Amino acid sequence: MDQSLIRNFSIIAHIDHGKSTLADRLLQITGTISERDMQEQVLDDMELERERGVTIKASAVRMTYTASDGQTYEMNLIDTPGHVDFSYEVSRALQACEGALLVVDSTQGIEAQTLANLYMALEQDLELIAIVNKTDLPAARPDDIAQDIEELIGLDALDVIQVSAKTGSNVEQVLEAIVRQVPPPKGDSSAPARALIFDSHYDSYKGVVAYVRVVDGVFHKDDMLRLMSSGADILPIELGIFSPNMRPVASLSAGEVGYIATGLKTVRECRVGDTVTLYHNGAAKPLPGYKQAKPMVFAGFYPSDNDDYDDLRDALEKLQLNDASLVYQPETSQALNFGFRVGFLGLFHMEIVQERLEREYDLDVLATAPSVEYQVLLRSGDVFTITSPAELPDESTIEEIREPWMVIEVFTPEDFIGPIMDLVTGKRGEYISMEYIDRTRVLLKYKIPLAELIVDFYDRLKSGTRGYASLDYHFDEYRAENLVKLDVLVNKQPVDALAMIVHEDVAYHKGQRLVSKLKRLIPRQLFEVPIQAAVGKHVISRANIKALRKDVLAKCYGGDVTRKKKLLEKQKKGKKRLKMIGNVEVPQEAFMAVLRLDDDD
Amino acid sequence: MLLLPGAAHTAAPSYHAPDVPLALYLHIPFCRTRCTYCAFSTYSGLSALIPPYMDALAHEIQLVGGGLKRPAHTVYFGGGTPSLIPAALLGHVLDRCRDMFVLPPGAEITLEANPGTVDDTYLRALRQIGVNRLSVGMQSANADELKLFGRCHRQDDVHSTVHTARRVGFTNINLDLIYGTPHQTLAAWQHSLDTALGLDPDHFSLYSLGIEENTPIQRQIALGTLAFPDPDLAADMYEWAASRLAAAGFEQYEISNWTRPGHASQHNLYYWRNLPYLGLGAGAHGYAARIRYANIAHPAAYIECIASQPVPLEFPCSAAADTINSVDRRQAMAETMLMGMRLTVEGVSLDAFRARFGHDLWSIYGAELDRLIASGLVEHTADARVRLTPRGRLLGNRVFIEFV
Ligand SMILES: Nc1nc2c(ncn2[C@@H]2O[C@H](COP(=O)(O)OP(=O)(O)OP(=O)(O)O)[C@@H](O)[C@H]2O)c(=O)[nH]1
Ligand code: SF4
Ligand SMILES: [Mg+2]
Repeated sequence: MDQSLIRNFSIIAHIDHGKSTLADRLLQITGTISERDMQEQVLDDMELERERGVTIKASAVRMTYTASDGQTYEMNLIDTPGHVDFSYEVSRALQACEGALLVVDSTQGIEAQTLANLYMALEQDLELIAIVNKTDLPAARPDDIAQDIEELIGLDALDVIQVSAKTGSNVEQVLEAIVRQVPPPKGDSSAPARALIFDSHYDSYKGVVAYVRVVDGVFHKDDMLRLMSSGADILPIELGIFSPNMRPVASLSAGEVGYIATGLKTVRECRVGDTVTLYHNGAAKPLPGYKQAKPMVFAGFYPSDNDDYDDLRDALEKLQLNDASLVYQPETSQALNFGFRVGFLGLFHMEIVQERLEREYDLDVLATAPSVEYQVLLRSGDVFTITSPAELPDESTIEEIREPWMVIEVFTPEDFIGPIMDLVTGKRGEYISMEYIDRTRVLLKYKIPLAELIVDFYDRLKSGTRGYASLDYHFDEYRAENLVKLDVLVNKQPVDALAMIVHEDVAYHKGQRLVSKLKRLIPRQLFEVPIQAAVGKHVISRANIKALRKDVLAKCYGGDVTRKKKLLEKQKKGKKRLKMIGNVEVPQEAFMAVLRLDDDD
Repeated sequence: MLLLPGAAHTAAPSYHAPDVPLALYLHIPFCRTRCTYCAFSTYSGLSALIPPYMDALAHEIQLVGGGLKRPAHTVYFGGGTPSLIPAALLGHVLDRCRDMFVLPPGAEITLEANPGTVDDTYLRALRQIGVNRLSVGMQSANADELKLFGRCHRQDDVHSTVHTARRVGFTNINLDLIYGTPHQTLAAWQHSLDTALGLDPDHFSLYSLGIEENTPIQRQIALGTLAFPDPDLAADMYEWAASRLAAAGFEQYEISNWTRPGHASQHNLYYWRNLPYLGLGAGAHGYAARIRYANIAHPAAYIECIASQPVPLEFPCSAAADTINSVDRRQAMAETMLMGMRLTVEGVSLDAFRARFGHDLWSIYGAELDRLIASGLVEHTADARVRLTPRGRLLGNRVFIEFV
């Protein structure tokens, strides 16, 4: 393929601004998808994506478009997710492109991830095409927003394309702009072949399917290939493109985006960020890869049924092929036995991973409350990091505990400055700055401990601003704080999976809330169960769960047997979902209770 | 230990052979009005269907009996409100039972009666047609509770029903009472039970109120206009009642049933011993010949089904059977445990279990039983039975779920 006729671009935006809907229209106009197969957000093909109406995983599609200049172009589109937890997906997609469509919802305007994604695209030197979307809505202010964009990136407001991705109005112009403005790839077709793996998924027949952007040279379908950093040599099962389903092709050449079905089974052999080259006459130098995503929050994942440990391990391994930001390692808990410490980019990411494990791999997963990564300085001078409160060494050996602090940026209408200020200070945050980004909206910057950020901050920000505020964050520094370990004892046994690291000032309050929460969540047992919260040897709160006295069907006669049996089966099933901690049955929700300490139920 | 008549035959080798005596359950799905907690299969406002229904019932008895003259040891008219049915119609149905099955002399024939629906003439007529056990739905002695339940009788009616029944010769009378109801105090419960004791019945069924789906009382609780009954208070009520009844000379033989010596419900023992019984009438359930079945619920549909059936079908079902499930050995064992563990004295006999299933009880449920015994809910008696401990009686579900 003549590289001058190739255009590679991503669609980026704040969450819900209409990326996937715009992709729908592009696929439709270019005839990539037949009317019969068309559905809303057709690229969101994961069950969870459709159900929640959000993109979780970037998807790449090849389109062909005959432009007004009479030429037919090969266009490779990558639709990206907008949620902040998935920005790693965006950054990888961008590296496979020369251009990006920056979509802004004309009823909402510029928001936190608009900026975050914009900066990522600029860092990669991509050609930007700004698009104002949803012009069909009565509340749309396309001209104002175009003006805001001009001020933000110095692009002429007149060059901002105003579209409705829903009705398709003006979308053709987007394709023309891509042809005109996005530079063609500049790879060396005659150099030894090199391709960057920017994503992957696992297919039980084809093994790891690597999504590649070919940078130099040509790959033919019968070529023996080498993965440069893993050292794996393979004869691929097939080469292909997404259109949008997988379609085999005979070759992939410089500038093109497609896939290589490797037949490999593990992520170790085929890692995102690796470079593919030819086995014979391969390239000498790999392409710059990716930084491994840095997980922000960590949680223990345990199989509800201990026998499912191997299944959980396999599922995590397969899921990692589908989600390059996922990291995990084995962990043992006294309370929960064998499981994994899993790292996530945020709480939404964690929720999605847990749901995918349960749906796609049919597992029952028990998740412990998320924790951040702490640095512990020992009296001996050694420093090490922990991702779980259970790993904290004996108090007497600790010199200090440091926790991660973040810088957050909140976009909000000015009316909500007060409530946001209260929210942030209530969570130990510190004010940095405030700046007006237009007549009525401000950008607030704060520093805040990550541990506070992951506990219902986002939900409360949204509810406190009627959904208007948007949030972005990045790591700032580690700070030594007055942190203590809050132990929880159930039936006098400390339960490692319930321990928390908290600021000393709030330990008492949190301990009390946690105990009363657990008292509500743990069902009554056949014996009385004391619940205690303690810091060191000092018990700061206690409550007793009274023994269960009555649980019996009053009546069971001939007519009832079948129905009563069903009731009992249901009760038995419910009990099976409980986790045995010592001889106490604890429901899954108890482990997440720390996240909802301030709920008033 | 209380020895129940009939306990010996639990060792019979086959429970589904044609010569095994059956129990006959006859369902009467009519009520004057609907009680607020009721989830039984019953209808109000259909009294016009009573005569054709009773004909259909007699016909079903004939179809299922099939001319084989199987032995049947008990007959039970349950409902609904069987006492709404004219005695002559009940008599006709009973005659059909006697034609089609062999009822031994003195066989227990029970009828559920709602106070306020019966008078002297009616009760005499019942005696005449052979009814010898009366189960009276007293429920409470407190007017406010009766009102909450939507019962259409007053305490006076209970009094006169029981006295009249005694006068006309009933020597086996049960009273049903309900406790653990919204806003009920322990004192209110004590008053009900003491009042009931004053009527000097032979048997008590004490039921903790179950909040059933789609009943008015459940909806009120869901709306928050009624409090969900406190289970700990219900436990207190149960324990108080158990000791009160023991002091009055009653013996407990099932989780919710107490009897004066010699008056245990023979019919209900069939269920708890997991023995075969026929369910006849609309919405009735039966278990015989390794089949559990349920008849179609609506009386009109039932009448139609029976009318459309010219000849007997395979025992034990008639054309009215709506769901039919065969019960395999494993299920039969589980159900034997589930039901048998409700018998607080008799429990499940190891010998009877082995005789019936050819396996040692411990080889089938050893792990479950060991666990339950360790947790103090079940005991293994010196005479080779397993049964609930006094504590286990209030925590029966924790025991039963081990067997489902
Ligand atoms: N009225 C109107 N609604 C639109 C338009 N474009 C998108 N939407 C709606 O906006 C919502 C979000 O659209 P998506 O295309 O899923 O947005 P997205 O940017 O892909 O969202 P994420 O992938 O979750 O970040 C959906 O309900 C769309 O139907 C438009 O032009 N007009
Ligand atoms: S009388 Fe019995 S069967 Fe009839 S509605 Fe009342 S509780 Fe239900
Ligand atoms: Mg999307």
